Amino acid sequence: MGMRADLGEESAKLQEPQPRRGRGRLRRSWLWLVVSKSFQAKVGLAVLLFFITIAILAPWIMPYDVHTPVGPPYEPPSWEHPLGLDDGGIDMVSLLIQGGRISLVVGFAATLVAMLIGGGIGIIAGYFGGRSDNILMRITDYFLVIPDLPLAIIVAAVWGASLSHLIFVIALLLWTTTARIVRAQVKSGRERVYVMRARSLGASDSRIIFRHVLPQIGPLLVATVVLTVAVAIFDETALTFLGLGDPTAITWGSIIEFAFLRTAISAGAWWAVIPAGLCVAFVIMGCFWFGRAIEDALNPRLNVSYLSPRTFRIRPLPDAEQESG
Amino acid sequence: MSLLEVRDLNVWFDLPEGEQLHAVRGVSLDLDAGERVGLVGESGCGKTTIVLSLLGLLPPSATVAGEVCFEGESILTGSEEAMQLYRWRSISMVFQGAMNALNPVKTVEAQIVEPMQLHEVAEGSEASRRAGELLEMVGIPAAAGSRYPHEFSGGMRQRAALAMALACEPKVLLADEPTTALDVMVQAQILELLVALARDLDLALVLVTHDLPVVAQVCERAAVMYAGEIVETGPMDALFHSPRHPYTRLLFAATPSLHGEEEVVSIPGTPPRLDREIVGCPFHPRCDRVFDRCRVEHPELTSLGDERLAGCHLNDEWVGAGRGGG
Amino acid sequence: MRRADYVIKRVAFAIITVFVAITINFFLFRVLPGDAVRNLSRVPRASEEFRHSLEVQFGLDKPLWEQYLIYLRELSRGNMGVSFSNQQPVWSNLREALLNTIPMATLGTVMAIVIGIVTGVLSAWRRGNTSDHVSTNLAIAFYSFPTQWLALVVLIYMSAWFPSHGMTDPFLIDPTPWEHFVDVMRHMALPSLVFALTLYGEYTLIVRSAMLETLGEDYVLTARAKGVPQRRIVVRHAFRNALLPTTTLIALSLGYIVAGAILIETVFSWPGIGNAVYQAVTERDYPMLQGAFLVLTISVVFFNLLADLLYFRLDPRITE
Repeated sequence: MGMRADLGEESAKLQEPQPRRGRGRLRRSWLWLVVSKSFQAKVGLAVLLFFITIAILAPWIMPYDVHTPVGPPYEPPSWEHPLGLDDGGIDMVSLLIQGGRISLVVGFAATLVAMLIGGGIGIIAGYFGGRSDNILMRITDYFLVIPDLPLAIIVAAVWGASLSHLIFVIALLLWTTTARIVRAQVKSGRERVYVMRARSLGASDSRIIFRHVLPQIGPLLVATVVLTVAVAIFDETALTFLGLGDPTAITWGSIIEFAFLRTAISAGAWWAVIPAGLCVAFVIMGCFWFGRAIEDALNPRLNVSYLSPRTFRIRPLPDAEQESG
Repeated sequence: MSLLEVRDLNVWFDLPEGEQLHAVRGVSLDLDAGERVGLVGESGCGKTTIVLSLLGLLPPSATVAGEVCFEGESILTGSEEAMQLYRWRSISMVFQGAMNALNPVKTVEAQIVEPMQLHEVAEGSEASRRAGELLEMVGIPAAAGSRYPHEFSGGMRQRAALAMALACEPKVLLADEPTTALDVMVQAQILELLVALARDLDLALVLVTHDLPVVAQVCERAAVMYAGEIVETGPMDALFHSPRHPYTRLLFAATPSLHGEEEVVSIPGTPPRLDREIVGCPFHPRCDRVFDRCRVEHPELTSLGDERLAGCHLNDEWVGAGRGGG
Repeated sequence: MRRADYVIKRVAFAIITVFVAITINFFLFRVLPGDAVRNLSRVPRASEEFRHSLEVQFGLDKPLWEQYLIYLRELSRGNMGVSFSNQQPVWSNLREALLNTIPMATLGTVMAIVIGIVTGVLSAWRRGNTSDHVSTNLAIAFYSFPTQWLALVVLIYMSAWFPSHGMTDPFLIDPTPWEHFVDVMRHMALPSLVFALTLYGEYTLIVRSAMLETLGEDYVLTARAKGVPQRRIVVRHAFRNALLPTTTLIALSLGYIVAGAILIETVFSWPGIGNAVYQAVTERDYPMLQGAFLVLTISVVFFNLLADLLYFRLDPRITE
């Protein structure tokens, strides 16, 4: 929602052309460059890899089955069940692992769809410019202003609840921002000398787009994807909470939803609520840190500030006996 | 006693890996009332740093040693409050690229009036009137003061910045590359203006630039800087006609003349790194008159009479031998 | 003249966007299968006559494009149909709900903006310090917390001190205006707190970012050279300039505010428009859903327009 706003304007602004240093070398090793230099990137990537790994290994590492009760409803945490049980007597840790799987899948899938649609529009608008650019951007502008969640709600409410519908609805919210960002990036990539050279040699548009422009803006696209995933996951929890998710699917959003609906609060069962939200928060933070680190590395901001609480230091001359010039 | 005295100024900047960049290496300078002095050198030689030090505008990553005295009082104390007493009232500055030196969301007049009110030089309508006078003095109609900087052309903005710099009637004006971003015609006008103002207001001027014709037009004498040090000072004529340092000579030779018979000479090589200690003369790797002593012994600035100072071993030979050129 | 052009352009844009929203609203509910959806007249527990009158009102037997025009006409009269849940006109339900949401959302948003600006400015000024890192990451954390989750957490830990459901105490009989006011304020405390917490993070980041840009601008150095005290430079020079991108981005977060309202009101059962949306979804009250979407969209478009005009006032550089 608001993250979308931040993404759109901030990131689009950041995509202005910057001087490059060694195209080939930078492209191949950009990931290494970013991660090695930035603590923020390391932490973000680590967090993301952690959750992704757990999601992949889910079937093997889940301690209990997510459909079989193993104790009374809302049993508090214990040694066997470090995060207690939910209202159905199911182990929370297993629920979280399973939920993470689906949440991440939904997040990535929605992002993929959004990137395809938004990216496609962005490429057309950015590369061909002119009228198509104007028209496409106008349409995008109108959509940008319409508030996210209400739009998603009416689409989801009318369309019906299922995982694939959810994915498309979220993608619906994301495409406008991705379109703008991709357009900005393509526009800057298009102006490169070697692109013009390729054009003059008679290369076709699609060839130029796929073989020159896209690889050029690849790293920044990755940053965009990562930041979009964060928003997608956030949106999923919101929509599911409102009852618009797939009722049969277990996601972090649905865990929170059921905790709310099944009065976990009055039962004092904080374990049914807090861990799920923390997982979502950590994934989003990881995406944020990693994505921002990439952007900062590839589009460095000037580090100058003319104001500061500290001032310069004074020290006595190193050699007091020395004659001054 | 000079109006402004700089003694053995040293400035270090912290670098990311923990080292320091020794940007200004023992610079001394004197400025008398009404004098127009140039500070000349390539980019990165430390001239802007010196000028910022005079107003205490160095970043927290800087370490400073040495003395700066204004009318006998030491002003380089590291205390922001203490510096604020001198800023603009005693010493003011015109920056490089006045395009951005003016706040885009305030009117020009408001920005000129601000320091007046701050330093209690004038208030209210009196301040506005004076701002108008200042604008007229620099060649801008007073009524233009109610406009915003983006409505002015580059040259006009620089003039406005000049008017602003004079708001509190300072005794010293520091001009850092005031005309670099302007085209040649406008440049000449601004420089003429500077000279006129300096004369009319008895203003001492320090003009920092890498552009020799600019210095020649405005200043009576100049200090040539290289790698954070002053290598030669003297009256403009003397520097041009009989330089006593190879760098000075090459610098003047590198400027193409409009009459263009001479070959344009460029100085091969690059300035030394300032994050390391420099052994011997800083210019020796690029010097065309280098000899053994240059590589090991650092040449100190010595007086050559007639208000001339130069830091080159060749002068010792000259002084010793009684004849010869630099 | 140019500046007037800008205003006209922005207003035209706002109007067109509202039309786009109305059109989406209309077609979305007509395009999908299911009579209950299409048929606004199918108000449960209503008499046949009433249903028939609705059908006539909305021309539900006429071709689609005619229905659209009728829809527009009725909209201009404030007629958005009748709620399936309480058989009241949609607009009167929404109006009451909107009036309940506004004080709570405003309080929360204002708090968020104030906290965001203060922390953002301080962070930028102290850039690189521990306090900067702490406050920036704290902002990122709060920005990442799912809003409804944050609401639940606050509910769990703070319901001892403040009421956690509804807007008024049902057991408070015949309250004086003052008592009523206090009662409402006490109920508003938690929801608006969550509002503030969920929004402020983004504002901190925006303000910090904008300030970092302005702090590196030459005119800040000039101001320092002029002897302006640092505090004053931060507020009068740097922040004044940073206000420009800040205003735009805060305006863009309006969608987030709406989303927050929906989620927070649901958790706290605050009888506002957000809760109305939730109820409408749960009860499949399609006329209410349609109406709420429209009201929310128009609000957002309106405030966006205001922000545009405000930006326009703040920045003397705007021309075509």
